[in-house]
Amino acid sequence: MSNLTILPIIIPMLAGIIVAFTNSRVKITRALTKLLTIISLVVAMIVTYSVFTDGTIILETGDWVAPYGIILVADKLSILLILTTNIIATAAVFYAPHSLTLKQETHYFYTFYFMLIAGVSGAFLTGDLFNLFVFFEVLLMASYALIVLGGDRVQLRESIKYVLINLFSSMLFVTAVALLYGAVGTINMAQIAERVAEVEQDGILTTIAVLLFFVFGTKAALFPLYYWLPRPYIVPNPVVSALFGALLTKVGIYSILRVFSLIFVHRMEITHEAFIWIAGLSMLFGVIGALSTNNIKLIISYNIIPAIGFIIMGIGIFNQDALSGSIYYLIHDMIIKSALFLLVGVIAYVAGTSDLTKMKGLIHHYPVIGWLLFISAFILAGIPPFSGFIGKLLLLKGAVTADEIVITIIALLSSLLILYSVMKIFIRGFWGEKDDTKNYTKKASLGLILPIAGLLAVSVFLGVGAEFVYPSIEGIAEYLLDPQIYIDSVLKE
Amino acid sequence: MEYIILILAGILFATAIYNLLQKQLLRIIIGTVLLSHGAHLVILTMGKLKRGQPPILDDAVTDYTDPLPQALILTSIVISFGITSLLLVLAYRTAQENKTDNIEEMRGEPNE
Amino acid sequence: MIFAVLIPLVLALFIPLISKAKHKVHTGIFVLFIPLGIFLYFIRYIGNDFSPVRHTYNWIPSLNINFDFYLDGLSLLFVLLISGIGTLVVFYSIYYLHKTEKLGHFYVYLLMFMSAMLGVVLSDNVFVLYSFWELTSISSFLLIGYWHHRERSRYGAQKSMLITVFGGLSMLGGLVLLTVITGTTSIRSMIDQVDIILNSNYLPLILVLILLGAFTKSAQFPFHIWLPDAMEAPTPVSAYLHSATMVKAGIYLVARFLPIFVAYEWFFISVSLIGIVTLIWGSYMAVRQTDLKGILAFSTISQLGMIMAMLGFGTEAAIFAAVFHILNHATFKGSLFMVAGIIDHETGTRDIRKLGGLFTIMPISGTLALFGTFSMAGVPLPFLNGFYSKELFFGATTELSVTTNGLASFLSTAVPYLAVFGSIFTFVYSMYLFFGAFTGPKKFDLLKKKPHEAPIGMLISPIVLVLGVIIIGLFPNLTNGTLIAHAAQGILNSEIKPYHIHYWHGFDSLAFQMSLVVVGIGIVLFLTRKKWSNIYHVLPGKRSFNKVYDKLIQKIDDFSAGITNSYMTGSLKLYMSIILLTIIAVTFIIMFTTGGLTNISFDNLAEVEIIDLAVVFIMVLAALATIFVNNKLALIIITGIVGFGISILFVIFRAPDLALTQLVVETISMALFLLAYYHLPELRKRNETITTSATNTILAIGMGVLITLTGIAAHSSNWFNTISEYFVETSYKLGGGHNIVNVILVDMRGLDTLFEIAVLGIAALAIYGLIKVRKNKEAE
Repeated sequence: MSNLTILPIIIPMLAGIIVAFTNSRVKITRALTKLLTIISLVVAMIVTYSVFTDGTIILETGDWVAPYGIILVADKLSILLILTTNIIATAAVFYAPHSLTLKQETHYFYTFYFMLIAGVSGAFLTGDLFNLFVFFEVLLMASYALIVLGGDRVQLRESIKYVLINLFSSMLFVTAVALLYGAVGTINMAQIAERVAEVEQDGILTTIAVLLFFVFGTKAALFPLYYWLPRPYIVPNPVVSALFGALLTKVGIYSILRVFSLIFVHRMEITHEAFIWIAGLSMLFGVIGALSTNNIKLIISYNIIPAIGFIIMGIGIFNQDALSGSIYYLIHDMIIKSALFLLVGVIAYVAGTSDLTKMKGLIHHYPVIGWLLFISAFILAGIPPFSGFIGKLLLLKGAVTADEIVITIIALLSSLLILYSVMKIFIRGFWGEKDDTKNYTKKASLGLILPIAGLLAVSVFLGVGAEFVYPSIEGIAEYLLDPQIYIDSVLKE
Repeated sequence: MEYIILILAGILFATAIYNLLQKQLLRIIIGTVLLSHGAHLVILTMGKLKRGQPPILDDAVTDYTDPLPQALILTSIVISFGITSLLLVLAYRTAQENKTDNIEEMRGEPNE
Repeated sequence: MIFAVLIPLVLALFIPLISKAKHKVHTGIFVLFIPLGIFLYFIRYIGNDFSPVRHTYNWIPSLNINFDFYLDGLSLLFVLLISGIGTLVVFYSIYYLHKTEKLGHFYVYLLMFMSAMLGVVLSDNVFVLYSFWELTSISSFLLIGYWHHRERSRYGAQKSMLITVFGGLSMLGGLVLLTVITGTTSIRSMIDQVDIILNSNYLPLILVLILLGAFTKSAQFPFHIWLPDAMEAPTPVSAYLHSATMVKAGIYLVARFLPIFVAYEWFFISVSLIGIVTLIWGSYMAVRQTDLKGILAFSTISQLGMIMAMLGFGTEAAIFAAVFHILNHATFKGSLFMVAGIIDHETGTRDIRKLGGLFTIMPISGTLALFGTFSMAGVPLPFLNGFYSKELFFGATTELSVTTNGLASFLSTAVPYLAVFGSIFTFVYSMYLFFGAFTGPKKFDLLKKKPHEAPIGMLISPIVLVLGVIIIGLFPNLTNGTLIAHAAQGILNSEIKPYHIHYWHGFDSLAFQMSLVVVGIGIVLFLTRKKWSNIYHVLPGKRSFNKVYDKLIQKIDDFSAGITNSYMTGSLKLYMSIILLTIIAVTFIIMFTTGGLTNISFDNLAEVEIIDLAVVFIMVLAALATIFVNNKLALIIITGIVGFGISILFVIFRAPDLALTQLVVETISMALFLLAYYHLPELRKRNETITTSATNTILAIGMGVLITLTGIAAHSSNWFNTISEYFVETSYKLGGGHNIVNVILVDMRGLDTLFEIAVLGIAALAIYGLIKVRKNKEAE
């Protein structure tokens, strides 16, 4: 049944091709997209189930044995992320028709969307470093297409910066892969890990590791590489922002997690120690950014950065609790970030502006949106019993166990500021007198609200129902702490 | 020879970066082209140079150059080509909409 | 027990439905039964033979986070306060809040709070406690912002949330530290491992973090500033959350963790000192207020300080007094808040300057206020419960043992004087409150409404509370053995005997003498109030902690905007420069510190031929020329030279497929660049400053050198054979092709190729889209 592994990549890819042909008939396209997305979600669930019952599933594409051919590795970490991706994708697809203009839809939005999902899934699954580069390009190319969709002035302006920065880091990526090949003679991740371990990450290897870290760090938007992120993320349609916010940076951080738990784990006093510092700075600068603006979309966009900080903090500390925390936080953040992007999209739509200073008393007109935002703010800030809390608690425990007190305090402080930055929208935009100068005629249709509510429900479940989720996450952390398991499952020696 | 090519790659990277840091879109795009050339040279060199014959099986030949980097470069060339094309069109459209090809004039307002 | 805690929360879900019928039946009537039921459920535990009860319900057992409810004397006291006062407050609110208000919201928040507060005082699991703790902050936030159309309400709500959540997060930090050190999430088990905690290096940090949580919640100096602004909430809320229950959560927390910290002298120093300072500052500031609720808010701050100080003393007598005062404070302060609400309701103002002479019109309210204020002032009358607890407080201050620590021993000497000093102001503001509102000249023309006595329904709750004041006053030992002693025992975690409270301590009792001093000086100060009120111009004068908070919030906004706008300029060049600088600097540092270049060798290299050098030379020239050319056609052609140079190199290095591909791609690219040639403007001269071009040059060269050096080092690392042997061996055998590169592309790494094509496809569609949008726009 190892062929299951490729389904999460192939289904969206084929779906993207199919909907390209129905493009001009938008009703059919919509229906097909929903259908195919749900199929993809169900398949993701099936694969997840079988990975969690039978263990890692390896697919040697074209039957070329590892480490020579391209290997797809569906282990618990990657499959859980794929499941999360599909959940978010489903929400996005149901939201999309209500948010996009007809023109945007017929400019192959759905094709690009499916390709993005295919690229993201591929990046999670692949066990080959160059193949990871290819999937990065797939998802980036799809993101370039999505970000310019509609093509207005501001969009184009931010897009070109976005493309250029990503292009630069892609080229650095391919160079780093080449350098690694030059040093250890392979591009299969398991074999690289084995070989790096054999020479104890000697000589140039740590330098190459750092280069790779910068490549992934740029995608993940870590301090000080995140400058490109906040603005380009807010120019496209909210559904695109949500996909970006939830998926793109997370692929970067996933890659860091994978590479720095599997391959480069022999000079942790340098690499991982630095991660902790980077984590602290990302948290601080991220929330500072979020507090600096009155643009509600930008507030959410900036909030991506501290979240990434939380995740890298766990990778830096690298013990059982901290890693579990990182993974929990990663999944939590994918879901809540997409919900928040969709939500501020609705707010900006009904209020007719994304400028907070021009909003007041929205709760009189849109109570449901207001309360969804209220809950989201607490979820995001990691207030119990929601999902963010479990991740944060584990991270804090991990940090304290490792005697990393400074980062503990920074993490707590930034939680407060994260809460403040989002609660600001609620207090200033939703509370207050009824604004009689404007007539709020735009309706927030159910099509817009339900996907958000659905995502929030998942978030609440991840917190309240942590007992159903945490043991699996704990298992993943244990597994990551012992790279040999991955190596053995791929190389079967 | 390998080190000479690596130095060449370094120079390509350097000129690429210099061009990337310019203001005019065309120069920047040229920068990205140079960047990909540099990267491809690095890949090629990592497979060692001039060791044996082209990687096309022939009974008379025992030594072949490393075929893997070549395959990787091929993939990379095609991808770079795709991105460059997109970038060109994007640049042209951006310049047109924003009425400037100077990227420093495309900063945007703080609360836009 | 879980039902008792969660029922309000669950039933809160139905309130929106019930409130639909609010015009027929006031929603509060339904809600009333919830706290009443809980009160009746718990009251049966009262008794001399009470022993703690524990109920555990699993929640997240794999993280040791469970609903581990533990009911000891301390929890019981709080549970009864929460449900008892809760019942009275809900009853009061039925008359206070008109049916036109958003009753649904109000009662949902209130019930949410009730659950949360019960959870706080019953949870033995620290993280469950924390969860409920934050929920109290959230519900308090919503209740303060209940009338959110008012600017002050929003301000107060945000302030209380920021300060209490700040404290909550600090506390979380402390709890995590405790959990990691002791390996348990149960407070009881932590108390059993007190030695480990006391020997931990983190002890000071833990203490600070936990106390920050407690002090912010219980409005201790200087975090007290949120409480006066919380008075924007409807009065039932002020009576309930901001005087009787929620603000005592901090007290509860300190009491709960007392057995852990009591042996640590900094606990005594910090808690007593902050408590006493809060006591003095609160009572001093209360005299200055003009809003009835403002006086009560500062009075609450001051009383909380007093309780906190007693916990800090840590002696058996002090703890006993503290617990007794928690109960007493809830009774008299609750009734006073309700009376203040009545005055507001019936006269339309709470401004004491506009009030006066109300006693004749509102005799019942007046009488209730009389008992409340006199009890609060600690007037030595045997039917006022406040007198006893104040007496016990004074007694406790005089019996502090002197320790070796200089600061601690100084503090224990100073405490009795400070206590008297603070209590004098307590006396003053109590008198000021009562006499200011109820006696003196009538100023009814200043009022919006014609004042009259409140309806009986509104009076019942404060009457019940004042009866409590009197009953405890008359029979101070009534609750002693059944409730108070158990609570004190719960705090100290050891057996203690019930204290017998005397009506009369005798003139030679130090505590009584202190009371007399307080009353004596208090009367003088009260009567001469106008003469010395100028002192407030000196202290605090224009200084205020509110201003510090406001400045801080403003600073946070300005500071973040300042920082962020300084680098988030939207300039690609700046972004690239920072990213490049980081990559170059860090990578070089790592390269040198980890011995990245140690393996470099010059063996095993391919030979150099003239033709190679010639090609390389031309390419270098062309690459450099791209920088200096100012003609776009020339630039495109020069770039083409580099590209064709690459394909020649591919030929030289035996990569025929690559050479061909590169040639084709390069040609198409040239064609594409013609597009740019037509549509992009001519190149301008690079008129940049020397610094700019110097920075650019440094970054460019840095990156170039970095790539070359790592390349050389990677090339020199000949540890392993590459995996390529395998491709040569199997290309024909398994792949059926002679051209190995082709076999790799279409078979061995077919997935790469498939998605490489996908990339091209997406690019094509995207380009198509970009151009089509333009066409559409032109058409419009």
